[in-house]
Amino acid sequence: MTDYGHDLLFGAFVTPTAQPATHAVEVAVAADRAGLDLVTFQDHPYQPKFLDTWTLLSYVAARTERVRLSGNVLNLPLRHPAVLARSAASLDLLSGGRFELGIGAGGFWDAIEAMGGRRLSPGQAVDALEEAIRIFREIWAADEPGGVRVDGEYYQVKGAKRGPAPAHDIGIWLGAYKPKMLKLTGRAADGWLPSLSYLQGGPGDITEGNKHIDEAALSAGRSPADVRRLLNLSGRFASSSRGLLDGPPDQWAEELAGLALDHGVSTFILMADEPSVVELFAAEVAPATRELVTAEREK
Amino acid sequence: MNYGHPLTFGTFITPGADPGADAVSLAVRSEELGYDLVTFPDHPDTFDTWTLLSWVAGRTSRVGLSANVLDLALRPPAVLARAAVSLDLLSGGRLSLALGAGQGTGEAIDVIRGMWDEDGGPLRFDGEHYRLGGAQPGPPAAHDVPIWLGAGDARALRLVGERADGWLVSLDERGPDRIRAGNKLIDEAAMAAGRDPREIRRLVNVPAQSGVADLLPLAVEDGIGTFILMSDDPEAVERFALEVAPALREAVGPTGRQLRRASVRAVRRAGIDYDLVPASLPVIEPGDPGYSRVRSTYLRGGAPGLVIRPGDAGQVAEALAFARAHPHLPLGVRSGGHGISGRSTNDGGIVVDVSGLDSIEVLDRANRLVRIGPGARWTDVAAALEPYGWALSSGDYGGVGVGGLATAGGLGFLARDHGLTIDHLRAVEMVLADGSVVRASEAENADLFWAVRGAGANFGVVTAFEFEVDEVGDVGWAQLVMDARDTATFLERWGAVQESAPRDLTSFLIVSPPRAGRPATGHVMAMVNAGVPETVIDRLQPMADIAPLLDQQVVITSYAAVMANAAGDGHNGQGEPVTRSGLVEHLTPEFAAAAARLIHSGAVYFFQIRSVGGAVADVPAEATAYAHRSANFSVIAFGANRQRVDKEWARLEPYVNGLYLSFETDGRPERLGDAFPPGTLRRLRELKARYDPDNVFRDNFNIRPEES
Repeated sequence: MTDYGHDLLFGAFVTPTAQPATHAVEVAVAADRAGLDLVTFQDHPYQPKFLDTWTLLSYVAARTERVRLSGNVLNLPLRHPAVLARSAASLDLLSGGRFELGIGAGGFWDAIEAMGGRRLSPGQAVDALEEAIRIFREIWAADEPGGVRVDGEYYQVKGAKRGPAPAHDIGIWLGAYKPKMLKLTGRAADGWLPSLSYLQGGPGDITEGNKHIDEAALSAGRSPADVRRLLNLSGRFASSSRGLLDGPPDQWAEELAGLALDHGVSTFILMADEPSVVELFAAEVAPATRELVTAEREK
Repeated sequence: MNYGHPLTFGTFITPGADPGADAVSLAVRSEELGYDLVTFPDHPDTFDTWTLLSWVAGRTSRVGLSANVLDLALRPPAVLARAAVSLDLLSGGRLSLALGAGQGTGEAIDVIRGMWDEDGGPLRFDGEHYRLGGAQPGPPAAHDVPIWLGAGDARALRLVGERADGWLVSLDERGPDRIRAGNKLIDEAAMAAGRDPREIRRLVNVPAQSGVADLLPLAVEDGIGTFILMSDDPEAVERFALEVAPALREAVGPTGRQLRRASVRAVRRAGIDYDLVPASLPVIEPGDPGYSRVRSTYLRGGAPGLVIRPGDAGQVAEALAFARAHPHLPLGVRSGGHGISGRSTNDGGIVVDVSGLDSIEVLDRANRLVRIGPGARWTDVAAALEPYGWALSSGDYGGVGVGGLATAGGLGFLARDHGLTIDHLRAVEMVLADGSVVRASEAENADLFWAVRGAGANFGVVTAFEFEVDEVGDVGWAQLVMDARDTATFLERWGAVQESAPRDLTSFLIVSPPRAGRPATGHVMAMVNAGVPETVIDRLQPMADIAPLLDQQVVITSYAAVMANAAGDGHNGQGEPVTRSGLVEHLTPEFAAAAARLIHSGAVYFFQIRSVGGAVADVPAEATAYAHRSANFSVIAFGANRQRVDKEWARLEPYVNGLYLSFETDGRPERLGDAFPPGTLRRLRELKARYDPDNVFRDNFNIRPEES
């Protein structure tokens, strides 16, 4: 049993399909109306089938009222951290505090290099991400004296102006799988955002990841509860049960409640490209899961 | 010099302390006031301009958007190129890309244009400032995004003349002489590069207090086409829009249209008055980005001179007006671009592509009423209906568009249980040849509603379909591959099993001739409208018994999962399909023998029989323009050679009664009589004379208006 006691959030992972460009917007608007907490988009700037995720996030933010938005996860190697920090603060201000920064170290290095980015080893990429996180936090600390100075190995910021300050404390969520990245998450991030389908050991791998994160958080003088645990999921609604997240909504709620109570997952992000699926997730799965978790926590 | 550009007006808004309130509301106000363009400066050490532009795109609907000007130093051009395309797509073609000219700008333009050229292949670039190692270009933007340069020095001005679509300059204390000198350099550089100076728009940022007297000489003598007001004062912005802009327009008088780039003009087709295209109408001409994606269809190569992509019924009407002004040109109407008979592309003509009208909306949950745009694809429809426990029988391929199929018939995997797609239609909204928008149902324009259900392509462009869909749960889905070396016996047995099966079984059969040492094979795709394994087995067993099974696959799944078989967007068909279609009552021994000879003749490479009947036959023949209700089977043969296919097909003709219009490509007039029985055809001709007397919709299986 691992439960960090976070409030539960329910989100959608929507494909940022370039054509038709309206697709992702329609699903996001449906999620907003349905009362989902979060809409996220993957970010692969080298992929011509997808829209530029930053542009899409900003556009969707303007077309929605309530829902929070995040990359899932943004590609650091092709986005300059100082520009990204200001962009994030700008979007958070415009949207009234609805932006969260899901970000990853990058993975598809051939494609990144083809787009003019710099090739790094996986280990270097984690170090670069750590430098970037320092830059984000420095830029956002608008009231600190002096300019931003980060003299990193991968990024150098020499006296850049601070600000703008975001409207709320933007969460930095990392797409992490390997120990080094998990430790960085525990040390410096506000959330861990893996995909269940990439966890080869299934939900059991969450326990393993949590261990790395919790240890790193504690040794950095933080509380494990400072790091929200998010999870990308895929599933199917069906009238009868056929497997994990393949069945009726009440079955989903049982399974998600289990992930929350046993593995500490507090944000469930469903891969969904249909407004109706998003609506079902929001209307039937989210309240039932919350109810189960609340009942269990109150015991 | 006057470059003949129509005058446009813009605002230049500097984000203040609370950009969400001040800058955004002034941008929205600019749109309300009729400005053509909203621009924001880009200072990398403050609020992010790209984020603001994207946000403003989401809060406006018409006004053009641009930075003024974008700083390239911290924006990698390949990523910027894709972001620009994205913003242009999301905003419906409203972006202009204005860049600050400096070191490396020429290279950045090459990278950006390279990333926009989808047909150019992976982009390799080895410049002094930028290096790309095979970046994937595309997707195409919604329109030809102009690249404007903010340029001051001689080198940058020459770059404008050589490469850019516009020059952006601020009117400062140095006065109009600077603009005059800049224009001269630009024009010289343009001509030296073989360009026409009129291809380059001249844009000027002007101070808040500018009046007509200040601006008129710039417009008339210096060819300035765009005036951008530099002010964050809402009153100044309003005054300029309401007083200065109209007075200046009047003083300048009529202007022309901006000359498109020489490379675009060079590939225009004869006989199309491109200058007549309404500015608000989204079009793709041969020189535009994305043309290669829209020129051809799934089965046909094409080279239309203009593809019009309306976003609503009003724009469909505008498109038809444009087409009517070009009566000598072919006119194709395209939804999904899968038409076999439907000529949804052409050579040098006009195509009205309604793929953008693709919404799917539940109107009435209790009555299962759904409103669907003609551009939606059946895979999307199925996926959207599935969570409700609903489905609408369509065809056998999810990539097919709603519009073409739902105006012809719709022979799908639920046909025997639930009828044709058109049998679920309760109303349509359509644009007629004269541009009028009408609704047709049993209650209004009932005769048009009758005609649309089977011969819709001859009567107008449907912009919305309203269907009553069915409750459909899990289905059994089987693929059986069988030895069909005794082809005639095989056909006969399959036909008998299918015809005597309960209605919940609908199967389609593809018979392939022997090839590479393998005997002829029959590939049965069968859907059982029941999620209970016992029922599925019960239905399939007799079919599996008709010949030795070579392969089989049976699953319990959803209708949507079966329809999720469509490839991505864009077609690149080549040539013209050669097909014949026939409707058949029973697969008699005589028919089976003739069909077997056809299959083994070598003249056809694809031969399919779809079962119909069942619920399809419950509807009286005179109820819809699709009249051959008694047929139990629809047959289609594809071949490579028209003469050979026709010659071999002739063997089947004694056993065939009618054809399915969407599957027939034989252009001989007697085919019309096969598609429609005499009474139906007579009524269609009468209605054609009433609804499309000038025969505007003539390129699809044309029903000529009755001579009056």
